[in-house]
Amino acid sequence: MEFIVNHLDLSLFAVLVTVGYAAGTFAERRHYASILSRERAQRQFQVMNAEAYFAEGRVKNSFMVSGSAVISIDYFKRLLAILRNIFGGRVKAYESLVDRARREAILRMKEEALTRGADMVVNLRLETAAIGNAANRRGRIGSVEVLAYGTAVTLNKT
Amino acid sequence: MKYIARELTENVNVSKSHPLAELAWLAGGLLAVVAILYLSLWWVADRIVPRVPVQVEVWAGQQLMARFPNRPDPQLTERVRNLVRLLPAASPLHRYDFTVSVMEQETVNALALPGGRIVIFSGLLKQIESENELTMILGHELGHYAHRDHLRGMGRGLGMTLALAMLFGQHSQVAGMASNLLIGMEMRYSQQQEKSADAYGLDLLVQTYGHAGGATDFFLRLADQDEGKLAYLLASHPHPQDRIAGLRKMIARQGYAVGPTVPLPETLVHQSRECP
Repeated sequence: MEFIVNHLDLSLFAVLVTVGYAAGTFAERRHYASILSRERAQRQFQVMNAEAYFAEGRVKNSFMVSGSAVISIDYFKRLLAILRNIFGGRVKAYESLVDRARREAILRMKEEALTRGADMVVNLRLETAAIGNAANRRGRIGSVEVLAYGTAVTLNKT
Repeated sequence: MKYIARELTENVNVSKSHPLAELAWLAGGLLAVVAILYLSLWWVADRIVPRVPVQVEVWAGQQLMARFPNRPDPQLTERVRNLVRLLPAASPLHRYDFTVSVMEQETVNALALPGGRIVIFSGLLKQIESENELTMILGHELGHYAHRDHLRGMGRGLGMTLALAMLFGQHSQVAGMASNLLIGMEMRYSQQQEKSADAYGLDLLVQTYGHAGGATDFFLRLADQDEGKLAYLLASHPHPQDRIAGLRKMIARQGYAVGPTVPLPETLVHQSRECP
């Protein structure tokens, strides 16, 4: 008990890392469950990053759709990344963050396209941005944003 | 082209390893690096410290301690200077300009800060009943200076802080936390260092009064009291019983006489009782 009071900053750090691990793992597991079920539901909807060429008169309408997701790191992942900065190697802790952000952004884009009645999305592009990166240097927590955008197409039924 | 929707069962973008296993590997590696660094600093400090000139230490002490106000106690400072006068002319302690200040704190301890600043906590002053005990304690602190114990700890603490600041960045929380922890740890001396400082204090005591009376009185009183209040001293110094046994052995070996003690002068008693 005395140790905790004497080393308040150390205790706070331990609490933050523990909370980060528990909450981060819980959130990640739930997010992946949601991603998987939604991906399964939208499986038949075509999305491609190719520049598509359609026969004349095939395309009825086209418009841009986009979806973006911001995922934050937690103290536990940050600790792993700080340690990785010393030893080098793959920052495995951040892989799942980027993966989740990418898939969530594509899912949201697909959802927009579906609600607007599109038949498929072509020319899919992905952009990544780090949010709060400058603040990260002063010991703040940063996040990653992924933006997915593409051209939604509605087709004339043949 | 026919579109066939396939479900991906595997995710190649996320590594399979468990994050806790990764943490264990990385933290273990870091600990190993820090341990090697610490041991090499220990080795280097032990070789460099005896060669640091006193002038350099006094200068560094002034730079380090400039932030903390120094209000030397004239009586105690005079006592330390009288003790230093007893030392042989070759002693490096003559090059220090010793000052003793009293800090209002209940801890039963005294500190030897770089540059010849001795700090005695009022909690310790309250426990003292005779001049001989006071001389023994001041002599003990002078022993730390003579053996340069205070520099050894500081050198390691400083080296580790610098190394961590380089690893994690100067203003990072990690470096700040680690240096707080390390500096606290490095203020403590090893049991062997405390024992040689006791021997140094004992010799000075005998030189002053002609006998070793009062050398163990203070520790006897500490040993009688409950340990809770004195946990700090007990954690950083050997147990009082061990110190009493060590001192008695030294007294017997040197053949020192044990005579009556001199009570503290009124002015000092008054001062130590005044402290809250």
